[in-house]
Amino acid sequence: MPVEATMAKVKVKTFSVIRDVLGAETIEVDVGRAQTVEGLFAALLERYGKPLKNLLLDPETGEMVPFLIALNKTLIRSTVDMNHTIKDGDEVAIIFPVGGG
Amino acid sequence: MANSFKHGGYIGQLLRVNLTAKRISKEPLKEDWARDFVGGAGLSARILYEELPPKIDPLGPQNKLVFMTGPLNGTMIPAASRAAVCAKSPYTNSFFHSIFGGYFGPELKFAGYDGLIVEGRADRPVYLWIDDDRVEIRDASHLWGKNPFKTQEIIRREIGDEEIHIATIGPAGEAKTPFAMILLDIRAAGRGGMGAVMGSKNLKAIAVRGTGSVTVPNMLKVYNTAMRLNELFATTPAVQGLSRYGTPRNVAAMNEGGILPTRNWQTEIFKGMKNITGEAMRESVVKGDRACFACSINCTKYSVVPKGPYKSIINGADYETIYGFGSICEVDNMEVLCKADELCDEYGLDLISTALSIAWAMECYEKGIFTKKDTDGIELKFGNADGMLHMIEKIGKREGLGALLAKGTREASRIVGKGSEKFAIQNKGMEWPGHTCRPFPAAAVGYATGPRGGSHHDIRPTAEKSGLVDRKVLEGKGALAAEVNHWLILCDSMLVCHLGEPIWGPTKISQHTINALNAVTGWELDYAAARKIAEREWNMIRCFSAREGFTRKDDQLPPRFMEEPVPEGPMQGSYIPKETLERLKDDYYTYRGWDLKTGNPTKEKLTELGLEFAIKDIC
Repeated sequence: MPVEATMAKVKVKTFSVIRDVLGAETIEVDVGRAQTVEGLFAALLERYGKPLKNLLLDPETGEMVPFLIALNKTLIRSTVDMNHTIKDGDEVAIIFPVGGG
Repeated sequence: MANSFKHGGYIGQLLRVNLTAKRISKEPLKEDWARDFVGGAGLSARILYEELPPKIDPLGPQNKLVFMTGPLNGTMIPAASRAAVCAKSPYTNSFFHSIFGGYFGPELKFAGYDGLIVEGRADRPVYLWIDDDRVEIRDASHLWGKNPFKTQEIIRREIGDEEIHIATIGPAGEAKTPFAMILLDIRAAGRGGMGAVMGSKNLKAIAVRGTGSVTVPNMLKVYNTAMRLNELFATTPAVQGLSRYGTPRNVAAMNEGGILPTRNWQTEIFKGMKNITGEAMRESVVKGDRACFACSINCTKYSVVPKGPYKSIINGADYETIYGFGSICEVDNMEVLCKADELCDEYGLDLISTALSIAWAMECYEKGIFTKKDTDGIELKFGNADGMLHMIEKIGKREGLGALLAKGTREASRIVGKGSEKFAIQNKGMEWPGHTCRPFPAAAVGYATGPRGGSHHDIRPTAEKSGLVDRKVLEGKGALAAEVNHWLILCDSMLVCHLGEPIWGPTKISQHTINALNAVTGWELDYAAARKIAEREWNMIRCFSAREGFTRKDDQLPPRFMEEPVPEGPMQGSYIPKETLERLKDDYYTYRGWDLKTGNPTKEKLTELGLEFAIKDIC
């Protein structure tokens, strides 16, 4: 008998302008049964709408821009690692790609 | 001149001032050089290769100081306010281009000049007053010893014009401190000791006022290009945030990613980070926002500490201030960082080299190489904010330990020895900016081979830092570094600001960059033609270094990056062992068509790029 995936809640940590859109440095997101990083970002984009899309999607292509994600302190990439599984209690930090002055 | 010049965006005229002979002349800009080298860094490299004999003393009268604009300056293209000041550097001993923003570059064009070449040495302190066609060499005896802001105030008052734009040096430039900077209004040409070159010429300041304009071949095309770029700047994720938080928008994220350089690069995580982020800065000291000429990014912050021991007013802080005086010296007080920034401006010191020199001294103190006897009684531990501020003043005055640190970490560590060379965080003599390469191979080979050493404007780690390319793979990183070199040098010649990186690059010259250059100049460059210009410029600069005697052996990283893995955090274990760097250099030179043994461009490459005149010098 197949085992049904359980619901997952993850902590999402953000900085700078993404923090401003989310309203807090750390928020909790219920990703339901979509237990991948991609599912987490779909949930975030659903919840925060256009202001977050403006920060995460390329204005010319509509694709997710490249950035690093710290999944429980291990770095993965938004461009290739979105199918990583996440589980209840995981911590995800969005490390946004910016150069310096 | 102006209207008859072949290419749009240019004035078609250079101003030359010989301070020894007190001779002022105007000369036409060579049309073929403008087409082949564009402007800014590229064109200055061509001029200085032609005019400077090899191996001259950078602080002698034979050196020349070139202020060069680009075709886009003074147009409505956003982020195109920048200009270049170039010379043989007293810090790196090769060609150096220090790029600055603000209003000086466009104003020089409005006065009727694409560039200014200063040569010789005045017999007493002078300043230049460029008032459109009228150019004067004026006495500056009363300005000598004054800080840049006071100098600007006096010049504006005596000329009676608040709208002039002024480049000036501080006491550090007068003392020929090799990492002295030039302040242009509120913006700095910080790196490479261009302020020392200006000081060596007894040139305290250059004031400019222009009432002319810049001609373009098709105004509608330029307008449409500018509007599209403004739209992109407003909507591109990696550019957003600069307006609210300035360049420190990345501090917290970098710390989370384990790439915030800390404690003289002993680690890359700073436990006191929370107090010095862009967010903390906005909430505590920022009082307003400022922009450069015609720029919609608006990245400059205006910050005030109204009272107390760290009372200060600055334009910043920028990320490099927070890195240098914050995490690198382990000081977690934003007010102290503002004061440190203000002191560097007042003395006219490059804040990155100043901060890294102090951090090196802190590590010497930590390791027992220095005692209080060496530090003039200061307990120079990491985290000692007041000790750090005292040391800035001592460097500015070249007093006590400051006299040693004013030589920079390469020379200071050579004098002190005792293994301190191992933690002098410099390459080719110039201290490192706040962008790591230990986890990023393309950035590593880019830094190592860059003409300016520790400059994050010869290479950008962004492609690897963002995950756009796989940081763990070595293959193809020589090619990536070379193509990043190309978009950077083309931008430093056009001249546009690297903060538009996602639009101008980030992995190679973008179509947006080519569109902007074509719109203003009337050229019809395709990618291959634009890339060839950039490659020619990069090779021109490499030829300058090669003629000075630089070879493959000079393409190095600081020993710490080759021997000490990052000790903690997400990047734990990352470093670039020597053998990996050598392999990356082979990859880079091969991609560039350079000689593997010497690291110099080959005859074939120079011929391909139209640089045959350099063959006799370096091949």
